[in-house]
Amino acid sequence: MQPDTTADALPRGNRLGHLIAQNIGLILAGAILLIAIVAFILIYGIEQQRLPGNFELTSTVNSAVPLAFAAVGQCFVVLTKGIDLSVGGVVDLANAMAAVTMGKSLTSGLVWSVVILMVGAACGLVNGLLVALGRLQPIVVTLGTLSIYQGLAIRVLPEPGGAIPPSFTNFLVNPNAPYALIFIVLLALAWSAFRRSRAGVDLYAIGNDEAAARALGVNILRTKIIAYMLDGTLAAAAGLFLAASATAGDATTGNSYTLSSIVAVVLGGVSLFGGRGSAIGAIAGALITTLIVNILFFGHVNPLFQSFYEGVFLLIAVVVGGVIGGTIRRRPK
Amino acid sequence: MNKFKTMAPESRRVLYAIAAAVALFLLGQAVHPGFLGLASVESILVIASFVGLVAAGQCFVILIGGIDLSVPWVLNAGAIVLTTTSLGLESRAPIAIVAALAMGIVVGAINGAGVAIFGIPAVVMTLAMNGIIEGLVLGLTGGFTCSACSSYAPPFVQALAHDSLLGVPDALLLWLVVIVLVTLALNITRFGRATYALGNNPRAAVLAGIDARGMTIMLYAASGFFAALAGILLVGFGGQASLGMGDPYLFTSIAAVVIGGVNILGGRGHYLGVAAGAVSLTVLVSVLLALNMPDYVRSIAYGVVILGLLLAYGRERET
Repeated sequence: MQPDTTADALPRGNRLGHLIAQNIGLILAGAILLIAIVAFILIYGIEQQRLPGNFELTSTVNSAVPLAFAAVGQCFVVLTKGIDLSVGGVVDLANAMAAVTMGKSLTSGLVWSVVILMVGAACGLVNGLLVALGRLQPIVVTLGTLSIYQGLAIRVLPEPGGAIPPSFTNFLVNPNAPYALIFIVLLALAWSAFRRSRAGVDLYAIGNDEAAARALGVNILRTKIIAYMLDGTLAAAAGLFLAASATAGDATTGNSYTLSSIVAVVLGGVSLFGGRGSAIGAIAGALITTLIVNILFFGHVNPLFQSFYEGVFLLIAVVVGGVIGGTIRRRPK
Repeated sequence: MNKFKTMAPESRRVLYAIAAAVALFLLGQAVHPGFLGLASVESILVIASFVGLVAAGQCFVILIGGIDLSVPWVLNAGAIVLTTTSLGLESRAPIAIVAALAMGIVVGAINGAGVAIFGIPAVVMTLAMNGIIEGLVLGLTGGFTCSACSSYAPPFVQALAHDSLLGVPDALLLWLVVIVLVTLALNITRFGRATYALGNNPRAAVLAGIDARGMTIMLYAASGFFAALAGILLVGFGGQASLGMGDPYLFTSIAAVVIGGVNILGGRGHYLGVAAGAVSLTVLVSVLLALNMPDYVRSIAYGVVILGLLLAYGRERET
C-alpha cells in the first residue's frame, strides 16, 4: 500500500478528489445500499401493488440489527488486518445464555444482558491474548475458539428453547415499529467517537503497517486486545438481539454470523488487508445483505437458489467496487 | 540430536505434528484399551484420509497465502455429480468419476482466476463460490429431492471406500499415493519451488519468471480436484450423497493444515505434516467418541487441542 499524502499537501482543487479517493469504499457501499433500497421498493411495489410500509421496514430493520452489530465487531478486527471466525460462536453463546437466564422481567433481562456482554468481552479477550501475546495468526486462533465457544453454547442450552421476557423483546426489537434503528444509530455514533480516540487512531495505524506503528510507539498489544474485546462484546450484543427477535434461544442459529459478518464487512468497503474502511460501511453492508434476502424473497426467486444469487452478487459487488476504487485512486493528481 | 537442532523450523514442525498424532494414539490406548487394535487404527486412518485429501488441496492454496472456503460445497457437489451421473450403475462409474473431478477442477480454476486475474481476496472469492455452488446444487436437485439424487454410488466407488488390498484399505492406499505424489511435487519439481516462491514473496517470484496467474489458477484447481475426490470417496463410504456432507471439512481441513506446521500466510510447510495433522484431528475425535463424551465436550476439546498444539509449535518468531 502506498502511504497517502495528507490533504494539506495537495493543491486546493484536489481536496474533494482526495476526500473521495480516501472514502471510496464507504461511498461505494452507500451507493450499493441505495441501489438495494430502490430495487427492493420497486420489486415490492410491482409484486404487492403498494409501497413497503411500516411492517416491512420494521421486519427489515429487526433482522438487520444482529448482523449490523456482528459486522461492526468483525470490522474492528479486520481493521487490524485480522479476521474473527469465532463471531458465530460468541453469538451462539450469548443467545443461549440469554434464553436460559433472563426469566420473565425486563429488569432481569437487562441485568443479564450486561453479564452476557461481559462474557462476550471475555471471549474477545481470549482471542486477543492468543493473537497478540501468543503470536498466533488470527484466523487459526479464532478457528480454535469458535469450536470452544460453540461447545460452551451447547453446554448452556443443549436443546433449542428457553424464553426471553416479552418486555425485553419489545425493548430491543419492537415488532410494531422500527425502533431498533435507534440502536444502529447509537452504534454508528459510538463508532465515530471511537474513531477519533487514541485507540481508534492506533487501530488504523496497526492495520496499515504494524512495524511502523510499533516504531511510532503504538501499544500493539493493548490496541489489539481492545479491538478483539470490542468485537466480542458486539458479537454478544448480536446474540442478544437475535434471542430477542426469536423470543427463545438456539445454540446454533448464530453459526451463520461468522461468514455473513465477513460478507457485510466486505460489502461495506472494509479492506480485508487491514487499515482501510469504517464501521459505518460495515453497517451499510449488513443492511445490504438483509435487503438482498428480501429482494430475492419478494422477487419470487426459488429459495433453494438463494445462496447462488448471494454469491454472484457478492462477487459482482467486489469486482465492480475494486475496478471503480482502483480507477479513482490511480487517477493522475 | 544435533541434526534435529540444525533442521529447518518447518521440517521440525513436521516431526512435531507426527509426534502429536502418535501421542494422541497412545492417549487413546491409555483411556480406552483396544484403541490401538489393528481394526480400530485402520478405520481411524480411513476416516483421516478423507480429511487428508481435502487438506491436500487446502495445503496447496495456503502455501501461496490463499485459502479455500469453497471446499464444503465442492465436496458435496462432487458427491452429487457422481451419484446422479452414475445412477448407481457400474457401467457409468468411469464417466461419473471423470465428471465429478472435472467439476471440481473447473470450479477451483474459476476460484483461482478470480483471485489471480480479478484480484478478489481469496476469502471473498471462495466464500462466494461456496454459496454459488450451494445454490446451484440445491436449486438444480430441488434440495436433493430429484429422482436421481437418491441413487447410490456405483459398486466400484463403494468398493474403493470399503475394500482392502493386501490388508490395507483401498482408501488408505489412495491417500498414501497422494501423500507421496504431493510431497514429491512440492519438494523436487519446478512446480513445487514455484509454489513456495509465490508464497514467500509473490513479487520476487514474478520477477524470477514464474507465471503467478497460471500457478494460482492451477493450485486452486488442485484444491477443487481434491475436494471433489474426497466427495467421491465419501459418497462411496456412505453409499448416498447427503445435504451438508461437506460442511465439517471446511474448518477441519484448515486446522489439519495449520497443526501440520504450514504457515497460514504461505511459503512454508510440508504436506507430510498436514497428513499427520489430519490423523491427529481424527484420532482426537475418535478418542472423545470412545470416551462417550457429550457433543459440547468434543467441541471444546477440539478447540483446546488445536490451540494447544499451535501454541506448542506453531508460533511466529518474535518480531
